[in-house]
This record gives sequence, structure tokens and C-alpha cells, in this order.
Amino acid sequence: MIDPSLALATRGLRKSYGSRLALDGLDLSVPAGVVYGFLGPNGAGKTTTMRVLTGLVNADAGAVELLGRPFTRRDRRRLFDVGALVESPAFYPYLSARENLRALAASGAPTPAGRIDEVLEIVGLRERATDPVSRYSMGMKQRLGIGGALLNDPTLLLLDEPSNGLDPAGIVAIRETLRHLASIGKTVFVSSHLLAEVQQMADVVGIIASGRLVREGSMQDLLASEGVVRVRVEPAEVVTATARLARLTAPDRVTPSRAEPGWISVQITPERTAEVNRVLAEAGIFASGLGSGNDLEELFLTLTEDPTSADPDGKFAGIESTTGRLARVEVLS
Amino acid sequence: MRLFVSALEKLAPRMATLFTFGLLAGMLVLIDIAVVATHGVVEGGPSRSVNALSLITFPGAYDQILSFILGLGGLFAVTYGAAIAGSEWTWGTLKTAVVRGESRSRYLVTTFAAIGVVLAVGLLFAALVGVIAAAIGATVAGIGISGIGDRAALEALPAHFLRGWVAITETAAIGFAVATLARSQLAGIGVGIALYFGETFAGLFLPDVVKYLPFHLATAVVGGSTGFAPVPSSAVAAMSTDTALILVAVWLLGSLGVAAGFGERAEITG
Repeated sequence: MIDPSLALATRGLRKSYGSRLALDGLDLSVPAGVVYGFLGPNGAGKTTTMRVLTGLVNADAGAVELLGRPFTRRDRRRLFDVGALVESPAFYPYLSARENLRALAASGAPTPAGRIDEVLEIVGLRERATDPVSRYSMGMKQRLGIGGALLNDPTLLLLDEPSNGLDPAGIVAIRETLRHLASIGKTVFVSSHLLAEVQQMADVVGIIASGRLVREGSMQDLLASEGVVRVRVEPAEVVTATARLARLTAPDRVTPSRAEPGWISVQITPERTAEVNRVLAEAGIFASGLGSGNDLEELFLTLTEDPTSADPDGKFAGIESTTGRLARVEVLS
Repeated sequence: MRLFVSALEKLAPRMATLFTFGLLAGMLVLIDIAVVATHGVVEGGPSRSVNALSLITFPGAYDQILSFILGLGGLFAVTYGAAIAGSEWTWGTLKTAVVRGESRSRYLVTTFAAIGVVLAVGLLFAALVGVIAAAIGATVAGIGISGIGDRAALEALPAHFLRGWVAITETAAIGFAVATLARSQLAGIGVGIALYFGETFAGLFLPDVVKYLPFHLATAVVGGSTGFAPVPSSAVAAMSTDTALILVAVWLLGSLGVAAGFGERAEITG
């Protein structure tokens, strides 16, 4: 059943290239009007997902819902409301930025007059609009690629690694542009492996590993619910410390490290780090190391190192919305 | 229509376009210069010299120029068609059109239609340059250009040119289809050239089969009169020009259909 509050959804998406499984039952739920960060290590299936969503390749199984309606490669006109930059930006090198955008505007959705100049302004290429693209730096080509995706003023924007090759100022400018687009009701789906960038930009995050979704949720709730405090004690005290810490949270949320003897991970919000220290001190155990890992990088590494450690269903449950905006997000356990 | 106009706008300033037709016209000029420069000093005596002078002697020069263009133009056209189609995959520009919701087959067919128009304009340009160079050469060699306004020759030119253009467009379609199947500019050009010479070579051993193949048919369409074509006239003499024209159209449309069908079904992963 189609959820109208979602701009984009995939259900059980599978895709193989020969014997290599690229997508293994991918379920995504992208609410309308947010910046959605689509994260995953190299080869996780991010670009394959982008290709399926834009009709470049066929999925072997599963379904895609685009802007509230089912989408297959035959429904190419649905892409008239979608702007996409898949993989690296592609242009005619001997044509200028303006000529390339004009050529692009001749395909697909009709483009209003004057939109090309608007887009050149948005991506900061107006001054160099008449230079051949062959003389552009990688960052400028990336800006132009993003400009091409914005050409039809899309309702849904799909961007594959949009920050590639951009200088810091360019990254900030693109981030602000994408945030602005979300603020006026557009949906922005951004695949990236730049975690810090996504953390600053995205409202909702989906993490993919080995072609499966291992976590999805709002950035705020995801980090809060996935807080980890790591504590180091003497190896001989690990058993006692683990038992004491289990009282603070739950036994299955306290994990002694096998790789690093003496380290114990406690799944608890970082605000309770002092409590962890106090509980150990009351038991006569003094920590020689203490730290919280409640950032996206930590979460990402934890989830993508061993995908089987993710939720049993590998999926995130409740994005409940009554207004089209994200209302409540929680992780199934 | 906007897609077709855009395709023309993309082709016009392209290096492949300028190089292909510039080279064709330039070679004609160079040959005329060589003919004029060696006038009277050609080994083989006066008869050989007179034969070479036919290139700049009107009205026969019209036929010679067209023969050159349509003969060598076949090779140029197959590489040109392959270069244009291949670059759509190599540069990823087909991908950007597809993600905008453009129909793949419409995009490919429209691109080829623009190629057909560019070929007509390019061949016309090369022919014009050839006629001007021949006229200048004739004047310099002291032959005169009295035959340049020959009514019969001029009346026959449009039909000859039109048939030649169809034949050239067919060879471009072969290159276009090959590069589309190969999804590569370089591979398309390489395979296109290999087919061109391979067919010529095969013609020595299997003339009854090869006469139905695209490059032989292209020669047959213009009555096998292309003196610069790789196909000996005897190999195509058995087929009427009208039959050849029909078969050329079949190859042309077939190649385009293969390219469009493949493009429609292909998974674009590059």
C-alpha cells in the first residue's frame, strides 16, 4: 500500500550483476520534504539504488514508489518531477555550461525559459557559463551536474555523492542549497560516504551495507538511541564490571570487546557517561579510559562492519507522519 | 522537435564534424593541387596526364568529385556515426537524458536524424569546395572551365548526390549501431573501420554474398561509379541501382532499429 507521506519508497529491492548481489531486499522509506542521507561503504549498493530509482537499470525483484505512485522503467514521465545526478556528472566537453544545460533541457521534462540562468546562478557558474566544460575543474563539473539535476525544478532530487570534488566553500554552498530546497517542501535524497557532511545536512538517514538497509531513522533519534559509551578497565575486572554495568541498562546492551581486552561497550546515551563511571567506582573498579561514541561515524562503522549485527529484519520501523513531515521515529528492537 | 534542433546544435561545433568534412574537402583540394602541379610532368606520357586532368576538367569533374566524396565518404561516415553514438555512452550524456525521463529510442533516433542532416550539409560543403578547387585548378592549368555550366551534367547532379547521400547515411547508420552495441566510442570506430575493410576483403572471395552487405550496396546505389571506393565496379555491376537503393534503405532502417532497440533495453551502468 502506498504511503502518500513518502516521497520515495522501495520494497524488497533486489539487483544482481552476474553473480554479484548488489541489492538484497532493500527497503527504504523517504519522507517528503526532508534531506535524506543515504550512507554506505563503497560497494554497498548506493549507486545501484540510484540507477534503479532513475530507470537506468531494472531491478530483479521488488518495487519502487516514486512521489506516491509505483515506478518502473516504463514510467519514464514520472522522472519529469525528479532531478538526478547519478555517479559522475556527464557533459559534452566541447560545449559551454550554458550550451550543455540547453542541450539537457531539450530532453525529458519541458524547461521554462530563464531557468538555465537561474540554475547557473544557484550553482555559482554564471561567470563561467560560456567556457567549454573541458576547461572546468572537477568541482565545477560537479556544480554543473547538480545544476542539471535542478533544471526541471524537481519535487524529488536524487544526488549521488554531490560533494565530490567540491572545495569547502562549495560544500557549504551546496549544503545550504539542499537545506533550502527541503525547507520549501522538496525532498532531497543524497547518497554519500562523507559522514560529517551528512550529519550536518540530513534530517533522516538510511545506512546500507551489502545491499541491505541496516538502519533508518531521523538523525537526532538515531544518534540518541544508538549512543555508545566505551569504558576501559583492567582485564581481570571485566566480568565484574560487565555485571555492574548491566544493572545500569540491560545485559544485552553491555558488550566486552574481544579484540581489545579490557574495553567494554555500553549502549547508553552519552549524557549518562558519568553514571557509568560512578557505578564502576562504587564497585571499586576504576576506569582507565572512558569515552562516548555517539557520532554518525561510530554508528556507521558499527553497523557496516558486520551487517548481521543489525536489527533482525534489517529495517527501521516507524516513520509515522500525518502532515508529510517526520513525526516520530523509533528503532525496532 | 526541440530534441532534434538540440542534436543539430550539438553536432555542428563538434571536432568530429569539423574534422570529417574538413578532411574530405582538404583532400580534394590537395589532389587538385597535385594534379595541377604535376600537369605535363607525369610519368607515363600524355595519356596518363590527360587521365589525371579529368579531375579538373568540366563537366566530367562533377562526376569525379562526387565519386571521390561518396567513395571515401563511406569510410568517414562509418567512423563519424560510431563517434557520435559511442560518445553518448562514453561521456555518459545518454544517461543524463534518460534520468530526465527522456525516451531512449527517441533520443537515439533523433540523434541519428541529426547526423543525416549534418552528413548532407557536410557532403554538400565538400562537393562545393571540390568544384571551386577544380575550377581554380583548371584555370591555373590552362584547361578552362567552359564545361562548368553543362546543362546535362548539372541536371544529373541532384539525383546522383541524393543517392550518394542515402548510401553514405546507411554507412553512418552501421557505425552508429555498432558503437551503440559496443557502448563505446573507440570500440565503435574500430569495429566500424574493420567492417568496412573486412567487407572489401571478403568481396574478393565471396562476391555473391558480399554484394548484399552494406558497403557494397552503398557503392551499387551510385552505379558503382565511385572510382575511389574500395569496391571494384565489377562486383556491384550485377545489381541495379534501384534494387541497391531499396536494400540500402533496409540496412539503414535495420541498423537504426537495432540501435534503438538495444538502447531501449540496455542497462546503463557506466
